[in-house]
Amino acid sequence: MNTLKRIWKWIGSMQFAIGLLVLLAVACSIGSFVTQGQSFDWYAARYNERTAAIIMALHLDDAFHSWWFLAINVFLCVNLLLCNVVRLKPLIRRTKAETQIDLPGENTVRADGVNEPEAFFARLHMPKPVRGAAPDGTEVLVSSKNRIGLWGAWVCHLGILLLILGFSLGQMTHKEYVAYGVPGQTRPIGDTGLWLTIDDFQIGLREDDTVEQYTADITVFRAPQGSTSAPDTRSATVSVNHPAKLFGMTFYQNSTGWAATVSVTKNGEPLQSEVVCAGDYLRIADMPNLVVYLNAFYPDYVSMPGSRPMTASGQLNNPAYLYSVYYGSDILGMNVLMPDESVTIDEYEVKFSDPQTYTLIQIKRDAYTWLAFLGGVVTMLGLVLAFYLLPVKVWAVRKEDGTWVVAGRSQKGGAIFAERFQSAAIDSEQKSA
Amino acid sequence: MLQVENVLFTAVMLLYFAAMILYFVFLAVKKDVLSKVALVLQIAGLALHTAALVCRGIGAGRLPLTNQYEFATSFAWGLCLISLVFVMKFRFPVLGAFAMPVTFLMIGYAAMQSKEVHDLMPALRSNWLGFHVSTAIIAYGAFGVSFVLSIIFLLRDKMQEKGFLDQHIPNREKLDLISYRSVALGLLFLTFTIVTGAIWAERAWGSYWSWDPKETWSLVTWIVYATYLHLRIRRGWQGKAAAIFAVVGFICVMFTYIGVNTFLPGIHSYA
Ligand code: HEM
Repeated sequence: MNTLKRIWKWIGSMQFAIGLLVLLAVACSIGSFVTQGQSFDWYAARYNERTAAIIMALHLDDAFHSWWFLAINVFLCVNLLLCNVVRLKPLIRRTKAETQIDLPGENTVRADGVNEPEAFFARLHMPKPVRGAAPDGTEVLVSSKNRIGLWGAWVCHLGILLLILGFSLGQMTHKEYVAYGVPGQTRPIGDTGLWLTIDDFQIGLREDDTVEQYTADITVFRAPQGSTSAPDTRSATVSVNHPAKLFGMTFYQNSTGWAATVSVTKNGEPLQSEVVCAGDYLRIADMPNLVVYLNAFYPDYVSMPGSRPMTASGQLNNPAYLYSVYYGSDILGMNVLMPDESVTIDEYEVKFSDPQTYTLIQIKRDAYTWLAFLGGVVTMLGLVLAFYLLPVKVWAVRKEDGTWVVAGRSQKGGAIFAERFQSAAIDSEQKSA
Repeated sequence: MLQVENVLFTAVMLLYFAAMILYFVFLAVKKDVLSKVALVLQIAGLALHTAALVCRGIGAGRLPLTNQYEFATSFAWGLCLISLVFVMKFRFPVLGAFAMPVTFLMIGYAAMQSKEVHDLMPALRSNWLGFHVSTAIIAYGAFGVSFVLSIIFLLRDKMQEKGFLDQHIPNREKLDLISYRSVALGLLFLTFTIVTGAIWAERAWGSYWSWDPKETWSLVTWIVYATYLHLRIRRGWQGKAAAIFAVVGFICVMFTYIGVNTFLPGIHSYA
């Protein structure tokens, strides 16, 4: 039982906290030096096979979600929680003691022969003292300020606890989706039962053609349950740095890219025509195994022998389409196509036209973001209390000859407080002399 | 406006350089009056530096806090300001003599950066960026001062001389306290920096924390200074161990600021 108690005590100790903090700092820096989220082969090519094996075995490829990173954080939370629980009662006691009339103890500075104690208190910027009597009946004045500052570390630790809690809960439960398309298109939002329509998408350019802002008008609706009820529809405008909240989810204008209309004819008759984003594909309507990919789009195409296709600028000066055609998993062809060219696959003919920009909307639900931010704010509050509201207590005790002995204590003020105290005392003596 | 800024910037460099040299002479010939003149030069430099930043802000039509040059010059400004406050508050000119070279190095680094004004990409057009970077400047300035104070602390332990320097450098306990005050200021503002950065990232990128190298290193820095705080209140550890941690902390600050951009690319690599 005794050893168990000792272990608890150690887990809640500041010594353990220091160890954990150092460990956490080392863990974070490792996570920043090893490129995250790559494969064994990637690390083997970058370093060597043995290093790659070590990286994979220790989960250094995903350090911030590894079991050992989690373990450090769990210990940190337990450590903080224990420390705050254990220290709550003593802290309340100490806070009360700051106003009580007791006589100088530890950590005090004192001066003799002060005639006007009130003026002395004022010189130290102390509030008006409370008058009382010591057990032996002598007259005593007590003044204290910034008692709340005693709570700084406690509040700070609480804030960190909330922050880690909010962040971890968010990591475990958040949901993220993307929806992209050109104006007029409607896309499902993952498995939420919601749909997103892109009503409009604008790229605001400055005079020098640099991008000032990307703005999308969106409408989100829930697919109606029966055919009788009208869909629940909500609209918003989103741009970079200005997300919108709809249906409890946050919608971000995330990025943009090119899309083009892919038109298919069969034996000269129009078969289908759809807008496809670069990187996406079109399945031929009456032959689902036949798939046309729009691999990339080059608005200002330049071709140089021996090098990959490139674009010289973002302007639509010389559009070109990089496509590939698959039948099942077999590639039938891949090439760069200019607007007036087409691809023929048996009776089908495929053409690309109308290049336009699409928008990618990121959609996120994190029910605990508020908790993490609350933690951040509480942490800051705690730091302000700990650093800028230094608790000070000053006493004055009346002596038989009518002069006063003054004493003061400021745990964190230390030598600096002692100097101010002494100079106030000297001032007092000079004033009264 | 930008030409005015250029002229002012050169004047600031000269003033900082002159202040630094005067501080050195003050240490060498041990005449108090020299430190007063150096202080006046430092104040004049800071005033012109402020004017230069205002000119750049007007010239660029936005807060001058968005690229490597602007941040470097602002960092030097923060360092000069905070060290000045500490020199005056604690009547500690020797601190000025140690802080001025760091300030000068920083503004020298700024002078090597491109001064071109670019329009901002959409993600950078946020008020949170202003809060994020201006709090970082105060934090970095305060950490710079704590670094200098810790160096003085460590040197003081080695010093044999009892005389001029001994009288002009506070005793161990007080030095430790002053250093603590600067770390406290720095840590508070670093926390502001991280929180405002997280709010901004949440709005711009849809995620308030994504373990980007710069984020990670600001957290490492934060943890190192938190460790400093705890080491300081452990009996027997305050003083030397804490001073070493404050030095390590500032190395982390510099790595977060310069090293991360150079060695570890991420979404912050444009800043
Ligand atoms: C990991 C668990 C931690 C434990 C168990 C712990 C424990 C403690 C203890 C026992 C104190 C002494 C308080 C006093 O004497 O008033 C303290 C002070 C303090 N701690 Fe922590 N701490 C932890 C983490 C942190 C972290 C991560 C921070 C981040 C900033 C922090 C900030 C502070 C501050 C600001 C003080 C007051 C120091 C001062 O005012 O000089 N603590 N901590």
